[in-house]
Amino acid sequence: MIEARELSKHYGSKKAVDGVSFTVRPGKVTGFLGPNGAGKSTTMRLIVGLDRATSGSVTVNGKPYAAHRAPLSEVGVLLDAKAIHTGRSAVNHLLAVGATHGIGRTRVDEVIGLTGLDSVARKRVGGFSLGMGQRLGIAAALLGDPATLVLDEPVNGLDPEGVMWVRSLARQLASEGRTIFLSSHLMSEMALTADHIIVLGRGRVIADAPVADIVALSGGTLVRVRTPHAARLGELLARTELGTQVQVHPGSSTNEPDVFQVSGLDAARIGELAASAGLALHELTPVAGSLEEAYMSLTQNEVEYHAGGTTSASEGASQ
Amino acid sequence: MITSTQHSVSADRPDRLSRLTFGGILRSEWIKLVSLRSTIWCYALIVVVGVGFGVLIALTSPAPTTGAVPDAIQGSTAVQVATLALGFTALASVVLGTLVITGEYGTGMIRSTFAAVPTRLPALFGKIVVFGMTTFVVGLVTIFGTALVTAPMLPGLGVTPDFTDPAYLLALVGGAGYLALVGVFALAIGAIVRHSAGAIASALGVILVLPTVVLILSAITQAEWIQRAAAFLPDAAGSRMFAYTAGEVAAANSLAPWQGLLVLLAWDATLVLVAAVLMKRRDA
Repeated sequence: MIEARELSKHYGSKKAVDGVSFTVRPGKVTGFLGPNGAGKSTTMRLIVGLDRATSGSVTVNGKPYAAHRAPLSEVGVLLDAKAIHTGRSAVNHLLAVGATHGIGRTRVDEVIGLTGLDSVARKRVGGFSLGMGQRLGIAAALLGDPATLVLDEPVNGLDPEGVMWVRSLARQLASEGRTIFLSSHLMSEMALTADHIIVLGRGRVIADAPVADIVALSGGTLVRVRTPHAARLGELLARTELGTQVQVHPGSSTNEPDVFQVSGLDAARIGELAASAGLALHELTPVAGSLEEAYMSLTQNEVEYHAGGTTSASEGASQ
Repeated sequence: MITSTQHSVSADRPDRLSRLTFGGILRSEWIKLVSLRSTIWCYALIVVVGVGFGVLIALTSPAPTTGAVPDAIQGSTAVQVATLALGFTALASVVLGTLVITGEYGTGMIRSTFAAVPTRLPALFGKIVVFGMTTFVVGLVTIFGTALVTAPMLPGLGVTPDFTDPAYLLALVGGAGYLALVGVFALAIGAIVRHSAGAIASALGVILVLPTVVLILSAITQAEWIQRAAAFLPDAAGSRMFAYTAGEVAAANSLAPWQGLLVLLAWDATLVLVAAVLMKRRDA
């Protein structure tokens, strides 16, 4: 169980984490999503006390991480694959980390086997691939047999087999009643692994809900509409259903000006509205909303670094 | 390739014995120290250069031309042969002491260290204890080894080392203490600066360059207080730890060996204190 209350971390005038509150519960895989620079890694570093919070607090199983008698058995943490001395072998790295808690050779060999590192265990970490480094980081996180796992981008650099392995490991550890908190900037990955998702944007929590609710939250199902009267219908929909969250998204492709997408209304209602106004429809297709789309719509205003150098108004305001 | 995840968990979670202890931290720091090549190289360098230099001096020094050498000169020569290389081996200790901590900051290892020891300071003290003790032992082996190896060569110089002379033995032990404390001095600078190059440069600057600067200043200004202060610089004070003082004509401004030890300890303690405060406050 991880509990963050009004947690903030400022670097100078930059608010990396800005008054974040959330609870990560045991027995579930909780995904931590957000664009690059949203504050995910900083939040995770705050959980294990590597960074000091500017204000607010975060506890693990009721206590600050540093107050536990066996920190490695409370939280296993993978912050980044580079938190390892490159001049040391994998086995010596694990022995050194484990020794602080009296964790010996037997458990070290166990986690080496578990993470598939047997063949490289005696090699120096400097020569490891990104994926091997990631496995070693996960092995170190598992050393203390922790009740809570905090993994920052665990599938980063892993091959498809490795991705599958992390996924099933996370699922299995959660089913044993542990608290699993893993970050990613890929919604599709989270959709396959997580039960619950916390979305972070620009240092703030913008969604905190079960996976299914996240899709619904951002408008749920989209309906694709093709009509020669795109402008008039769009106006009509927006006016008629003011109480609901109707959003009209213009067609994505410029050579199809007569296509747009509607969220917040189902296909039947759109058809009825069009009929009552005498507007002809050439297509009316419900499109199952994917998590990826939900995520994009949630974070479209929260992205720190836009491609192509476009700057949104809200971005300018906070800097 | 990938092992099944079936046995990731020991069934007996609640009554495991694993717990964070200072003994465990010492063990961890020992594993870290001896599992790096840089450690092995630095210590090997200290032993080889230390013994090699002693032998070289013993073999090339000219034999006395007039009669018997006085006891005080004999003792002081014997100490010099065994400790002369400290001027060089101390640099290896400084570099290694710095790398013990900056190597962790440079590679990111420090985050693994602080994740395991979130209160941080026990990790710093563990490093100091393990590195300091190990370096002290390596220093003892080197210096006593040099004394033993060169003992048969010294009579040619009219010197017979007296292994029952407490002043002689104390100076040899003091040399090992100097080697360790100078290294700890550098380790503390490393913990403050956190970058290998910057920390090594700073530590060597204080040990090597600062005494020269002070010497030049005192020569220019003829100010006596500068000369007196120079004796309290880390290296000058520390070097008194391996001075052979029996029958020594006490030079003006020179500290007794135990005073030199206290001054160097005070330098180390001050820097370690600064490092501890910063380590506790800064983000890793």
